Amino acid sequence: MIARLDLLLAPLRQHPARSTVSIVAIAVGVALGLAIQLINATAVSEFSSAARALAGRADLIVRGPRSGFDESVYPGLARTPGVVTASPALEVDARVAGTRQTLRVIGIDVFRAARIQPALLGLDADLLDMLRTDTIFLSPAALASLGVSVGQTIELQAGLTGRVLRVAGTTAAGEGGAAVGVMDIGAAQALFHRPGRLTRVDLALRAGTDPAALAARLALPAGVVATRVEAEGHDLARMTRAYRVNLDVLALVALFTGSLLVFSTQALSVARRRAEIALLRVVGFTRRQVAGLVLAQGALIGVVGAVLGTAGGVALAAGVLHVMGSDLGAGYFSGLQPRVVVGWEAAVVFGVLGVIAAVCGSLAPAIEAASAAPTTALRSGDDARAFRGLQTPVPGVVAIVAGAGCVFLPPVAGLPIFGYAAIALLLLGTIALLPRIVAVLLAAARPPRAVAGRLALERLRASPAQAAVSLSAIVAAVSLAVAMAVMVSSFRHSLDDWLQGILPADLYLRANDVGDSGFLSVTDQRRITETAGVRQVEFLRRLEVIIEPGRPRVAVLARDRVDEDPEHRLPLIGPAKPGTRDDAPGDAWISEAAAAIQGWRVGQRIDVPLGGRRCAFRVAGVWRDYARQSGAILIDRSRYVAFTGDRTADDAGIWLRDRAALSSVRAAIERLAPDAIETLTPEEVRTRSLAVFDRTFAVTYALEIVAVLIGLLGLSSAMGAEVVARRREFGMLRHLGVTRREIATILAAEGAIAAVTGLTVGAVLGYVISLILIHVVNRQSFHWGMTLHVPWAGIAAFFCAMIVAASATAIIGGRQAMSGSAVRAVRDDW
Amino acid sequence: MTGERAIPAARSVGRRRFLLGLSATLAHPVTAVAIRYPDVVPGTPLRFPRDHGAHPDFRTEWWYLTGWLYTDRREPLGAQLTFFRTRPGLQEDNPSRFAPTQLLFAHAALADPRQGRLQYGQRAARSGFGLAAADERTTAVHIDDWSLDLREHVYRAQVVTETFAFDLACAAHEAPLLEGSGGYSRKGPDSASASYYYSRPHLGVNGVLERSGERTRVRGEAWLDHEWASEILPPSATGWDWAGINLEDGGALMAFRIRDDAGQALWAGGTHVDARGVRRTLGAHDVAFTPTRWWASPRTGIRYPVQVRVRAGRFTFETVPLMDDQELDARASVGTVYWEGAVRAISAGRVAGHGYLELTGYGGRPRL
Amino acid sequence: MLHLSNVRKCFAGPASREVLSNVSLDVAPGEYVAIVGESGVGKSTLLNVIAGLDRPDAGEVMVDGQPVTELDDDALTLLRRHKIGFVFQAFHVLPYLDVARNVELPLALLGVAGAERDARVARLLEAVRLANRARSLPRELSGGELQRVAIARALVHLPRLVLADEPTGNLDPQTAAEVLALLRDTLRDNGAAGILVTHSREAARTADRVLRLTHAGLSAVP
Repeated sequence: MIARLDLLLAPLRQHPARSTVSIVAIAVGVALGLAIQLINATAVSEFSSAARALAGRADLIVRGPRSGFDESVYPGLARTPGVVTASPALEVDARVAGTRQTLRVIGIDVFRAARIQPALLGLDADLLDMLRTDTIFLSPAALASLGVSVGQTIELQAGLTGRVLRVAGTTAAGEGGAAVGVMDIGAAQALFHRPGRLTRVDLALRAGTDPAALAARLALPAGVVATRVEAEGHDLARMTRAYRVNLDVLALVALFTGSLLVFSTQALSVARRRAEIALLRVVGFTRRQVAGLVLAQGALIGVVGAVLGTAGGVALAAGVLHVMGSDLGAGYFSGLQPRVVVGWEAAVVFGVLGVIAAVCGSLAPAIEAASAAPTTALRSGDDARAFRGLQTPVPGVVAIVAGAGCVFLPPVAGLPIFGYAAIALLLLGTIALLPRIVAVLLAAARPPRAVAGRLALERLRASPAQAAVSLSAIVAAVSLAVAMAVMVSSFRHSLDDWLQGILPADLYLRANDVGDSGFLSVTDQRRITETAGVRQVEFLRRLEVIIEPGRPRVAVLARDRVDEDPEHRLPLIGPAKPGTRDDAPGDAWISEAAAAIQGWRVGQRIDVPLGGRRCAFRVAGVWRDYARQSGAILIDRSRYVAFTGDRTADDAGIWLRDRAALSSVRAAIERLAPDAIETLTPEEVRTRSLAVFDRTFAVTYALEIVAVLIGLLGLSSAMGAEVVARRREFGMLRHLGVTRREIATILAAEGAIAAVTGLTVGAVLGYVISLILIHVVNRQSFHWGMTLHVPWAGIAAFFCAMIVAASATAIIGGRQAMSGSAVRAVRDDW
Repeated sequence: MTGERAIPAARSVGRRRFLLGLSATLAHPVTAVAIRYPDVVPGTPLRFPRDHGAHPDFRTEWWYLTGWLYTDRREPLGAQLTFFRTRPGLQEDNPSRFAPTQLLFAHAALADPRQGRLQYGQRAARSGFGLAAADERTTAVHIDDWSLDLREHVYRAQVVTETFAFDLACAAHEAPLLEGSGGYSRKGPDSASASYYYSRPHLGVNGVLERSGERTRVRGEAWLDHEWASEILPPSATGWDWAGINLEDGGALMAFRIRDDAGQALWAGGTHVDARGVRRTLGAHDVAFTPTRWWASPRTGIRYPVQVRVRAGRFTFETVPLMDDQELDARASVGTVYWEGAVRAISAGRVAGHGYLELTGYGGRPRL
Repeated sequence: MLHLSNVRKCFAGPASREVLSNVSLDVAPGEYVAIVGESGVGKSTLLNVIAGLDRPDAGEVMVDGQPVTELDDDALTLLRRHKIGFVFQAFHVLPYLDVARNVELPLALLGVAGAERDARVARLLEAVRLANRARSLPRELSGGELQRVAIARALVHLPRLVLADEPTGNLDPQTAAEVLALLRDTLRDNGAAGILVTHSREAARTADRVLRLTHAGLSAVP
């Protein structure tokens, strides 16, 4: 038993560095996957518990557009047979005056909320304080984020003015760590200038009443829907799913890279220990036992990696949640301050995946070890014969062809499953064909004149399979890194181009850049238009409406002069069929996402719920919109006003008489409501948008870097292993009169050649994968297109760095190997 | 019941005199608008049916129905339904339909000896949207499916709680009994402490009671109080005792006293109508409450004088409760505990009447 | 050609022990000397000291007039590159280079290229009778053939001195005899001096002169 254990552990112990790298690679994969899972689970659970706290014992939630619906809906709901209590609420994301902070303010009828949402009530509150116009109850998170305590005051922006409220106490409404404030609904309607508006009504039903059946019976205005409380978290989970799956795939890539790393480590180890393994066979080990030994080593690496990875994943999740919040900077879950929820199911799943990855990585080496005939393996100089089994091209070609086929398949349940499958198959196919590809590339290389380079090239040419084994991890990592880099760069450039096209005015103004409590009244609009130096102003009203229950809200943008000249003002995709100004129904210009999610086509008649009514429009064209993932509908503001009578606006685009006067006009407009109005030049909008973009993709950058580092570690450990195995060879060369420096040069050259080969294959594969990411995965997940843009300079710099790093690690590995005496090396024979 | 107990709105539901206390706190609301409440002026004549309706300008108002009910099997039960209306003086300039300018509270209780303890339910709402309202023309007040309506001399009381429900028709055969001086009822040494107050004794009850899904016909006799005011209680009051008795001889008696910290009467008063219909207003010196038996609540440990000898002018009787445990523990919501129960009035060794006794402030000064 | 005087070498360690003591040796140009001795007596160490791979603790080593003991590592490496050839017991032929490439390795190091290089390699392969295996890979060769490749490699750059450490240790007797004859002949044909370290008396007999190494030093074997 002890002997068996020794056989198992010795090879791992013999090369602790290499074993460590394999373990780290598996651990990183497990940690990333688990962390992403935990972070999302935490976010959804935080959101759900916050939603549950808000909904309390309610069975149904009636919601409408973000701007709310008419309160006349409420008594009807309250009187519906089967409804025990109807609790109305007005929710406003109020801007904290003079800051960029928002506070989710929930205006409630304390008497109604008390019956089904006790968490909303102030704790130990004086009833009258819950009815005053100037009092608010804050959740502990809100107290903390606003830095106030009970008894102090806060100032919230309403319209363009600030309103001071006394913090009368605390509320448990922020159970999920949400920063919320609760006040009287009547006071909230007045405070935020939302007379007669509600945003939700929570319904508690008589026991035994079927919520779905009752929901279907309710007569609700257009755009107002009743949903089950349980659906709240689901919607969010669905909304973030595409983003999360993207991250999950990156984690799986890290795991895959780890698997390849285990593969190369084990394969090289098996090759090096052929004689040793042959000896085991000679003394009576069966093939099965030999294979089992190698697999067990893989499993051991996997288990240790999985355990470390699980711990790392939990720590990583906690750290990320602390630093970035649960949406990883993507902006899905604002206002929540989560604590990590450790889901042991996820931990087990990713742990097992880690072990499977390690065992899979050991599979081919195990078969290789078992299949070696003891007699030939005992002969020296047989190393290069290893891995010949890897050279059959059939599986690789099949995988690549299948991958190419997957590209043309549609999404599954809104997820680009086949897109990811295509990427996986291309990756696997390329790895499988890697020995061939490496052989072809090296054969095509012109041998350098210098003896060191020649030796290096000759050595790699002699055993392309072995080189391929060392390179598999780095090829996978580099291809994914390049693919992500190309995709992100394409996205960023497309976004940049789009921003430049979509911001024609000289100055932009937003009344509610933060939250939704600010707006421009008709008076405000007149004052802006009449500001000296202003030539023309286009106002915009932004809404979010529910087109279909269960689908995310769609943005409605009602802008001035849309009907006049839309085609020159919108980044249109495909042909447009605009009507005339007087046409009814009017033109609706829909975003790519709206077209994909709602399934609308150009020319189609659509109903948009505005002001509680179904308002007919005709789809005039599709435009590109990177700003609203759930889709947007652009209509002319005059039509919106005609339908709703709502003349307020949220944004304004301002054209100046004289561009030179920008700063003075800007100052004049901001003086209209200091702290409440924020103006931005197109350039500032662009800078800010790109900063948000970069923040969103920061995580993917980090994951890429990790994957590449693992790949690089793998390459260097493989090369280090090589150097150790070739100590005799270097000893001989020293005898022949090769200086230490020249040996270092040989190693550096080998590292560089290997790196160039791996990078070349990785880059080509990465380019192909980036095309799949752009044209299949992104289109299917996020419903928007982008133009390919390859960041040549960045990739070139990255490649140079990789080559230098590969050479450097080779030299460092060599120096360690050369530290022993050359004399002993030549005698080091068995 | 458990669900309803957590309602903080019931903070002010305690009972009529709790609301008096609430009014006292309301006297100093932190509000931008200075509210002028009408004063209760002696000599103001009450006019009906107008004064059956609500008086929304006044700070506070209640309709308060208590009665003895009997099932077909002659089981005696105590039933109570109270609607309170209050004008908190908040958001009066807010055009929002949700502005809480008029608040309505309701409280229903059933004293069922089979249960051994009081069952109760509560409702609270701001007036509006037709979901809760107090009509100004006659008694017509409701919160959701709870209501009290006067139509053709019959009060109809409808209540649904989680443990019981009732729908009672209470017929008034007599003209309203104006309490105090022509409906002006003084509550303290200061003449500012007063209310408009009339009673409807000897209401003939006929209705349906539902207990745990079991429906029973009930008959009996009830008493209704309607009172409205802006300033009632003297600030030094810590509790009060009240009794309203339908006398067997056809007369009626109402007596109350307001206690100070030492348990001494700060003020007292009442009205006695004798068998011949002769009405006698009782002054502060005509009324005395003397505890004869105390009962300690097993839950709160508070001791209540559940049996009291009441001297009301020349008439003296002793109250005997339908059951001892008619304590209403509303500390979780209204922050107070009190005893509110159906009692028999025993005079000279025989039952002289049936009515209700209210004992408040025995668990310490109510937190309002 | 080669001059050693009073060379001493100790190996440090827990039990420090003197391997070479008072070794003195002179080898004339073109002379072929065999050194025999028991295992562990320091034969290989002596070769390493001569090649500058091990530094003696005392004494003087001169190779072709250059003081080995006073040269730095790079100079020693160049000395080996230009003037010394090696033949190892374990052949040490690079598995990934064919026979000709292995043989030309020292020439490549010296920058000899083109026709001259090819001619020299061809001549040496001819000399070791492997001309027809020039494009073979080491794994296709027998042990004797591999050692002949090593001999060709040791002489292709016309060194002044060839150091052979048990070159027949891994070979069967008949092949060993062939290889030794070939080594002797090739040394002679190329005018190089040679030192053959062996524990075999038969092998030693192929040399011009035989010395025995003991802990006391070198002594002539009659």
